Amino acid sequence: MENKIVDHLFRHQYGKMVAILVRFFGFSNIETIEDAVQDTFVKATLQWRNEIPKNPEAWLVKVAKNRTIDLLRSIKAEKNRFNKISSGASAIVINELFLDHEIEDSQLRMIFVACHPSLKPKEQIAFALKTISGFSLKEISAALLTKEETIQKRLSRAKKTIVKNDIQFDYPPAVDVEKRLDRVMEVLYLTFNEGFHSTNKTKLIREDLCGEAIRLVKLLLKKEKFRSGKLYALFALMCFHSSRLSSKINYKNEIVTINDQDRSKWYFPLIKIGNDAMNKTMEYDDMSCYHYEAAIAVEHLKARTFENTNWNKILGWYNKLYDLQPGVFTYLNIAIVNLQLNKLDVVKEMLDTIVVSDLEQRSYLYYGCYADYFFKRKEIKKAISYLDKAINNASNNLEKEYLIKRKKELLAV
Amino acid sequence: MKDFMMIFIGADYQELGLSPEQLQERMGKWFAWNDKMEGQGILKGGNALVPVVKHVSGPNRTITDGSLVEGKELVGGYYIVSAENADAVVEIAQDYPDYDLGGTVEIREVMVFDK
Repeated sequence: MENKIVDHLFRHQYGKMVAILVRFFGFSNIETIEDAVQDTFVKATLQWRNEIPKNPEAWLVKVAKNRTIDLLRSIKAEKNRFNKISSGASAIVINELFLDHEIEDSQLRMIFVACHPSLKPKEQIAFALKTISGFSLKEISAALLTKEETIQKRLSRAKKTIVKNDIQFDYPPAVDVEKRLDRVMEVLYLTFNEGFHSTNKTKLIREDLCGEAIRLVKLLLKKEKFRSGKLYALFALMCFHSSRLSSKINYKNEIVTINDQDRSKWYFPLIKIGNDAMNKTMEYDDMSCYHYEAAIAVEHLKARTFENTNWNKILGWYNKLYDLQPGVFTYLNIAIVNLQLNKLDVVKEMLDTIVVSDLEQRSYLYYGCYADYFFKRKEIKKAISYLDKAINNASNNLEKEYLIKRKKELLAV
Repeated sequence: MKDFMMIFIGADYQELGLSPEQLQERMGKWFAWNDKMEGQGILKGGNALVPVVKHVSGPNRTITDGSLVEGKELVGGYYIVSAENADAVVEIAQDYPDYDLGGTVEIREVMVFDK
């Protein structure tokens, strides 16, 4: 358990330290910096083996500061001004970099750099998880369901691109802020979804992904120039989803669908924060997918029982969402909502127009929906055969187990 | 409580040619001093100065290049601290790490006109 606490602390500190040091030394030294920070943690682990310091965070910060001096010696910065410590008073400047608000500023800069358009979308997420959130290669690969090798390649390509294009460790110029911010939100949204929707990972990583996404959105919200209705809506959406994160999996590590979740276990303080954020969106004129998704999440949270869910309202939001951004998953969700509304003919018609391969790893959702459709039609045999397809295509074990359980229930009908 | 400026003069690490180990040890002391003052809540700010100097002086506005300024006269930076009086600041300045390198701390009260 202690090791887990240390791992956790390291992960959080890693991002902070890398951000501070990159700000000081520039991206051209990122490899050296990463090694140095890694080394700091190795040393800490050795020293902490017998006794963890009373304030481990302060301990790490102290070591990191000294590391800065260390690096000053070893890094031959092109810019002479950082190459030297001319007097003891230089300590004042270094110290300031380690103040909380400066650390936050450094991390925000890092987010914007991670989302630089010269990086490919998949590289952006991997780079952000590594450099801002301090995930290890293994953790990123688990989080993104991608081979470590592939992640490694993405990371090194991202770093090369940043150095080659001489991307500055700074906010984008004013004209680009809005566009870049959109991408930042997208990356954070995807990071959150990786944590929320995928179950093929330990609870710790799931919660960490969601937690990181929320932390970074909060960081963005702190700066007035980044605030928008869209950003508040994204924050609200994450809060709403997170409020039922721990009810999604039961103590036996099985999936609990929203139909069966213990609604009294939903975490209300988060719902409250989400509601406040939704109210904030009213102060802005913009509209976004996040607004609609948050509105849908609210409808689910409002219902005291699954049967009380206002599916008509949810359908309305989904339709608006689809108008704004048509996508196969939204389309499938609309079909699922129609299923709840017992508009079975509509469901069939919709499902038949979906090209299953568009759903990629999530095709099991489609087959699952079809199974439910036939179940409602009381065609149990067909329902079971679609459940089998869903089972065969399920992307992870927990989903699979859930579907198998469902099949057993059907067989008992 | 009043504000005082502690101005650090001399002890130019570059000129003294400190070894990396010495540099590290010095900085450790500076960090510790900084932390101590922060812990006491007396530190109000400070800056370090780049050791490149230009002097403009005289009626002809004569420009003197910085390289002519000797390291022992060079202001490296300053802290502003809040204290009862100058004596209290003298006490604070006991922890300045660079006396042994010929460094000096000049203590000056920040001027305020009361209404």
